[in-house]
Amino acid sequence: MTPVLGVLVDLTLITLVLALAATGLAVIFGLIGVINMGHGAFLTLGAYLTWAATSAGLAFPVAVIAAALGVALVGLLLEHILIRHFYDEPSETLLLTWGIFLVVTELIKIIFGADFRNVTNPLPGTLAVAGLDIPAYRFTVAVFTLILLGGLGFVLFRTSFGLRIRGLIQQKESAALLGLNVGLLYKQIFVLGAALAGLAGALISPMLSIDPYIGNVFLVRSFFVVTLGGLGQILGGTLIGSFVIGGSETLFALVTDQVFAQTVVFALAIVLLRFRPTGLLGSKAR
Amino acid sequence: MSVALYTNRHGRRISTDDAGAAVLAVALALLPTVLPGYAVYVLPQYMLFGVLAMSLSLLWGRVGILSFGQAAFFALGGYVMGIIMKGAWPINPGYVGLVSAVVLAAVLAAVVGWFLFSAGVTDAYFVIVTLAFSIIAEQIAVGESQWTGGWNGFFVTRMRLTVGSLLDISFDDDVPAYYAVLLITGLTYVLLRTIVRSRFGKILVGIRENEPRMISLGVNTALYKTAAFAVSGAVAALAGAIYGMHSGFVSPSLGGVLFSTEVVVWVAVAGRGSQLAALIGGVVISSLSNFLSSVTPQYWQLCIGLVFIGSIVSFRGGVAGAIDHLLRRGGRERS
Repeated sequence: MTPVLGVLVDLTLITLVLALAATGLAVIFGLIGVINMGHGAFLTLGAYLTWAATSAGLAFPVAVIAAALGVALVGLLLEHILIRHFYDEPSETLLLTWGIFLVVTELIKIIFGADFRNVTNPLPGTLAVAGLDIPAYRFTVAVFTLILLGGLGFVLFRTSFGLRIRGLIQQKESAALLGLNVGLLYKQIFVLGAALAGLAGALISPMLSIDPYIGNVFLVRSFFVVTLGGLGQILGGTLIGSFVIGGSETLFALVTDQVFAQTVVFALAIVLLRFRPTGLLGSKAR
Repeated sequence: MSVALYTNRHGRRISTDDAGAAVLAVALALLPTVLPGYAVYVLPQYMLFGVLAMSLSLLWGRVGILSFGQAAFFALGGYVMGIIMKGAWPINPGYVGLVSAVVLAAVLAAVVGWFLFSAGVTDAYFVIVTLAFSIIAEQIAVGESQWTGGWNGFFVTRMRLTVGSLLDISFDDDVPAYYAVLLITGLTYVLLRTIVRSRFGKILVGIRENEPRMISLGVNTALYKTAAFAVSGAVAALAGAIYGMHSGFVSPSLGGVLFSTEVVVWVAVAGRGSQLAALIGGVVISSLSNFLSSVTPQYWQLCIGLVFIGSIVSFRGGVAGAIDHLLRRGGRERS
């Protein structure tokens, strides 16, 4: 019984970490339709800022908040200078954000160096539950992810800010005619997405060795998560997408090696999406 | 989209492009007489990067489909060539390798392309799939080490050109290898230009400009997109196969995301609307990149990134588009 339970716990933890990594992308892609190829670089930047802040002696939670705010600021600058001029041209924003990925990654390499960095795990212990040892830090991050998604749901469906966003998604022209400041709303959503990516990078940083390209793998996985979940299905969709991608990768990794497992999962995601192009939840695309 | 700028002036563009290509070919053919040995060795590799850039420009410039997976096909070509050159064959292994690399890439691209295009997947989603391709290619190259040599890659020997017992040319020397690569580059250019100018090429542009209209005109757009993707994959694999032999070495980085990105940057900066621009972009930027990465290893990639962003923001046809724009304005003032 215990091995099965162990796999289930692993699966849940991996699903939630992946959901955390994908949320920032889901917000930007799902709400304003910008394919943010810079998402991976934002994650990486969040991880490096956390490393810098903890190395400077800040407590880990403070470092995480600082990293999220730092990435949000970078996102705000980039949106204001570049991206806001290209909202009407999805293929150009895709290229532009890819250029941003290149530049941010190179700046990270110049400022922090290309060596591996490690952030000390703030909660090194394990929790003993039902005969299983669950890593305390991963567990905390998983719970935090659930709270974060719940919070996002609350903002989207229970606040006037969320009402404005939903109005914007449904009818951009009408929303603008009714006096909604569309440009400002786009900016807020982009910055929110950047902050979420920075937050995810910060929280993931103690789980792995940081190098300037860690965001890359998360970028593609996050895209599959978001498209599998269905655009605009930020909450349930992200969770289901993460479960399919992260879960199947965990399961395949049990029977074959990690590399092959990831290849199979990418292939699986491509096949699933071909037959369900609007995502597993079948939402209507923007 | 941006490339629509060009559609009215096809006639003139074609002639200036081909004239430029002819001048370039003559110049490249004369270069080995004046250049030092190292340049004769290394220039063909940049020409092959130029061929790779042209393969993307067919897909991106003509059909409007961006691919971050061209390096995956390039690596496929290199690895297939290398693996076949290692084996014992009754006929010249070079021919077996070249044909297998090109056919395999074309079939793979056709299967994947048809699978996705026939379901009408969006361009954005296709980009992500091609990005996944690059990651998968790199991981297979690293992971399946009994075939690929893992991280280290493996050495590839250069082929010989044989016709029965009549002819036997070795490319171990750099000068014949230079002219062989130049010839292949030229032939690929002519082939791609012929495709672009054919009815097939015009339908591709029609799909780029207005796909629903082409569908209502009775064109099976998925089939045309698949064909373009297959041709593009085959050309990339051809370049990769020859690159592997010429550099004598294949390694996983040939298929990676970073290299795929470089290809996109070459084409975006040089101009996605023109085959010649892509060719020159591939040659010039990759050689500059190699030179400057030894001078300022830290800042070169950053400069490339900034130039890339600049080219998207300010002149979307790339350098070729900007030159064209200037020429056109000059022409109007004269007339």
